[in-house]
Amino acid sequence: MSDSTSVAAGTASLVAAGSAGRRNRALLRNFFGREIHTRYLGSITGLAWALLHPLALLAVYHFVFTTIFRAGGFQGHSFLLFVAVALWPWLAAQEALQRATVSLAGYAGLIRKVAFPHELVVYASVAATLALQFAGYLAVLLVLALVGEPVRFEGLILAIPLWLVMALAVLGLSLGLAALQVFIRDVEQVLMPTLMILMYLTPILYPLALVPEYLRPWVAANPFGWLVGRLRDCLLDGRLGLEWGDAVALAGALALFFGGRWVFRRLSPQFEDFL
Amino acid sequence: MSALLAVAGVGKDYAKVETRRGRVRLVWDLLRGRAAAQVFRALDGVDFELQRGASLGVIGENGAGKSTLLKIVAGVIEPTRGSVRVNGRVGALLELGSGFHPEYTGLANIELAAALLGLPPHEIEGKRDEIIAFADIGEHIRQPIKHYSSGMVVRLGFAVATVLKPDVLITDEVLAVGDESFQKKCIAWIERYLEDGGTLLLCSHSMYHIQKLCRVALWLRDGRTERYGPSTDVAQAYLAFHEEKDASARQPLAEAQARAAGVYAIQSLELAPGDRIAQGADLTLSGEVLSPDGRPPAVLVGIARADGTSVYGVATDMDRVVLDEMRGDRYAFSLTLLRLALLPGKYIVRVHALDPEAVRLFDHVERSFVVTGETREFGLVQLPHRWGR
Repeated sequence: MSDSTSVAAGTASLVAAGSAGRRNRALLRNFFGREIHTRYLGSITGLAWALLHPLALLAVYHFVFTTIFRAGGFQGHSFLLFVAVALWPWLAAQEALQRATVSLAGYAGLIRKVAFPHELVVYASVAATLALQFAGYLAVLLVLALVGEPVRFEGLILAIPLWLVMALAVLGLSLGLAALQVFIRDVEQVLMPTLMILMYLTPILYPLALVPEYLRPWVAANPFGWLVGRLRDCLLDGRLGLEWGDAVALAGALALFFGGRWVFRRLSPQFEDFL
Repeated sequence: MSALLAVAGVGKDYAKVETRRGRVRLVWDLLRGRAAAQVFRALDGVDFELQRGASLGVIGENGAGKSTLLKIVAGVIEPTRGSVRVNGRVGALLELGSGFHPEYTGLANIELAAALLGLPPHEIEGKRDEIIAFADIGEHIRQPIKHYSSGMVVRLGFAVATVLKPDVLITDEVLAVGDESFQKKCIAWIERYLEDGGTLLLCSHSMYHIQKLCRVALWLRDGRTERYGPSTDVAQAYLAFHEEKDASARQPLAEAQARAAGVYAIQSLELAPGDRIAQGADLTLSGEVLSPDGRPPAVLVGIARADGTSVYGVATDMDRVVLDEMRGDRYAFSLTLLRLALLPGKYIVRVHALDPEAVRLFDHVERSFVVTGETREFGLVQLPHRWGR
């Protein structure tokens, strides 16, 4: 018998290494398809709502900021374009984190009964959210361009890798939060207000230039602020050059991913008992 | 040929966490790579081997560690101690119907089960129709599983298992589902699966199923192997253990306890001539009942076969009998069953204490006895009979 697997205390899978990869891909595909299906295609309004919600938010912000506050100084761009470019990635990250944090509970039956890498659940959840939100992002940019906003579509060459860096970071955070949520139910409760506060501390609805001088380094240190700034660079100004900050951001995202995965893998053997 | 599955010295500790603070503590311990501070030992030192085409039954009381063992074998949880080896063509181990998601339709669940076994989509295509045909649940296949009857879920589970052929089929109490005719079908399915060379790990409370479907059985008690061997031997030992346990649990209630609780309690029960009695002899059941309020209690005597089938029952009030007072709130009863009609075998006599109105049942005490004799008649009792006119 050539291919025998030994499951001593410590290793998990009973599936031989060669077929494990194939099986995990099949599973991930299945979970991903299921996520998309149940979330957005299950109800008729689901898919529309995925696009409507950010659009409605955008409209409200537009009304509040330009009509009531009469804010200005959006680096020479219209408020709509300035905010849309940044709001979508934020909402995508927020939704991905919130959904992924509670994603394991939805698979409790499976986790309790079948052996498979639990990470796949989080991957599928995050991937489904980000894929749909990215599609929404493209749709909104297209609509804005059609109504005459000067969208620099060549900027997508940089914007897509930027989204991928964000995805990596969100995935890492999601893995950690989802694993913690299994043991400590407060994670979900704390996450929502935290994200809400973070949103207003990030230069999404306002440019960094409007932040008072002495606070600016703090706001600028926000990694999401960096992402937003870079997205505006490429999609609004057409600046496609790479910066040192990009490398730092990539390194940070990788660290978050591996850190989150480490936490997840440490905790996942006990999921079955606590879900 | 080496075993398909070899489990050696397997043990599992579960973290014992009661408080919210304990959970935080546990997370911290796990992150540092430490074992949980407080553990519950669910399983310890379990060994067994399973050859290809063999079948093993796992029995034991609730909480004995059966499900934990099955989960370790299936790879759902890692053993804290020991090892599980899977030899040969390593395929997936599937717990029957376990991969099902209640919100998914039957069709989606077929795909999920196939993905869990690592089948690529193009292979699923061909198998899907086969599974649908086998499950034979008609249009329900397009409905979410949560709307299924439990029988339909098992049916679909069997269909998936039959067509996708996992190397080892694990079933946890599947046969407890559904009516008798459905159970018969399940057994037929499992028998066919075994005939086709399938390997089975069956967990059941039914000794009948264990003996019928498994050649070897493992009896778990408090997480340890109590007995491991031919299924008939293990099943009989298990049943004997339970009989004894039941008997010891039905010992008379201590007088002080009975008084404190204010219940009518049987204080003693004697069988004459003894717990072995010849068929057709007189059997006398006598004893004492404690009455906390000094009124004469009623007594109900029931005879049942060892498996629990009731044979006969009669109470003092039915025959308008009032018990005699002995000393200090104790009342004596004595019932003689004349020319015992019971056929040879093992029986249980159960005496209940009732209130004087014979409305409420209080305490009861059990004794088992054996009726001896040489006869080829069938059934429970010998009915008076005559052939011809």
